[in-house]
This record gives sequence, C-alpha cells and structure tokens, in this order.
Amino acid sequence: MKKSLLDILRDPLDKAELDLEVDERDGDEIVEGRLIGTETGEVYPIEDGIPNLLPPDMRDE
Amino acid sequence: MGVLENKTRARLFYRYLSKVYDQVNKFIWTEEMRTEALDLLELDRDDRVLDVGCGTGFATEGLLERVDEVHGLDQSVHQMQKAFTKFDKHGRVRFFRGDAERLPFADDAFDVVWSSGSIEYWPNPVDALVELRRVCRPGGQVLVVGPNNPQTSVMKRVADAIMLFYGEDEADRMFVEAGYDSFRHVTMGPVYSPEVAITTVAEVSAESKRADPEPLDA
Repeated sequence: MKKSLLDILRDPLDKAELDLEVDERDGDEIVEGRLIGTETGEVYPIEDGIPNLLPPDMRDE
Repeated sequence: MGVLENKTRARLFYRYLSKVYDQVNKFIWTEEMRTEALDLLELDRDDRVLDVGCGTGFATEGLLERVDEVHGLDQSVHQMQKAFTKFDKHGRVRFFRGDAERLPFADDAFDVVWSSGSIEYWPNPVDALVELRRVCRPGGQVLVVGPNNPQTSVMKRVADAIMLFYGEDEADRMFVEAGYDSFRHVTMGPVYSPEVAITTVAEVSAESKRADPEPLDA
C-alpha cells in the first residue's frame, strides 16, 4: 500500500485515524508493516502489501 | 437463515469456491450484465471508486474500463488471489482485506461505491448498506447487484439453503432501513434467465447524510 492511503483508511472499529509503522518498503510501496488504531490501539497487519483491516474477531486465519 | 450467514463458514466456503468461482459465476453474472450495471453509473476517469467484495475481480475489471483506479475490498485473500494475477497487485487496483459491515474507510471517501455478488453473503445486509452510504460522498452513487428471487423451486431451495436472495420489496425495505432516500431497482440477466439479478442504484443525498445518528460510544 501507499502512504497516501492513510487519508482514506480508518480503524474499522471506531473509524478513528490509523498510525502507520513500516517494516519493509519497495519504492513508495509499503510491503510489510502495520496500521494501528489511534484510539483502540488495535494492530492491523500489512501483509505482502495488502492491509488486513478485518476487525479482530474476523481475523482468525 | 442460510448457512453462510456465519462468517467463519463463509470464509471456508470462499476458500474452496474461489477455485471455480469465475467459471460458475459466468452463468449468472455475465459481461453484458456488468456493462448494463456500469451504464447506470455516471463515472469520470478520476472518480474514487470502491468495489466492496471485489472477490476474483470480475466487476473490478469492468470498472477499470471506465475509471483509472479502483479500491478493492474483500474479506477473503483466497478470492483476491485470482484478482492479483489479473491486475498488478500494486497498480491501478488498491487491495484491502476488510468487512463490508465495518468498512475501514473515512466518511465520504468515495464518489462511487460498487458491490456485486456480495450482498447475499452479508450476515446483516442493512448494516453493510449503511456503511456503503457512509463512505460515499453526498451526491455520489451506491450500486448493489444481488441475486433476484429465483423462479424455479429447485433454485429456490438452493437459495434458501446457502444464500440470501431478495426481490424488489425486500430490496426496498433494506435500502430504506439503511437510510437511502433515492434509489431504483433494475432486474437483469442473460436471455435464458432475464431476471436473475437485481441491481439497485442509489444517489446518496446530502439530506440522507445529515440524518445519520451520532456514532454510539464503544
């Protein structure tokens, strides 16, 4: 994902903004990292460039 | 109550279904129907478009003929894997995993919100329709394609067993309950089954956005 997506991405639980932590980049693509709910503290992984924004109760795979 | 109205089962089902989905899907949701549905929308190349339940990317492909970029969301990464091979994973389609009933997007983030072949899997379709409206800007459009009530008794039994099918009356009820004040339904299908799909296109009015209740405290 690109950092600019933070403008439209929100925590699915309370629609608060998300913080971004990056582990690995490829140019301006964030390949591995996580999005963190600024209110809930919930951690949403970025896996192979795809943000996994499933609420925690659905993230059982 | 269909067995897929349980999200864990739905995810398992998709994992196996995704292997054959595009072949099966061609019979009920064709390129002609997709074009007919796209024609209901007013799309500009630079519109911000969200495809909810993009799955293997069949509708996404049609949307990309009319707009430069599509945001695709699906619950299942197994479904999206097919889409990754069709489109560059980090090209004109931005992929996200997420839940239609709890969308991970800001209010008014999109000009057009599209969802085809997904509503029948949503445990609480009205909740998801509220979310589609929330992320669509005032003056934008929401389009939902779902399976119309089947006409034959065999299909009706299949329908009751695994999916939620609905007719125009039920669609009216769901969209009104979800706070839409301007929408219409179009049934479509291939010649051998001309009313197999029901497509609802809604204009998201500024009034309907203002009427939203304040979010409840968690």
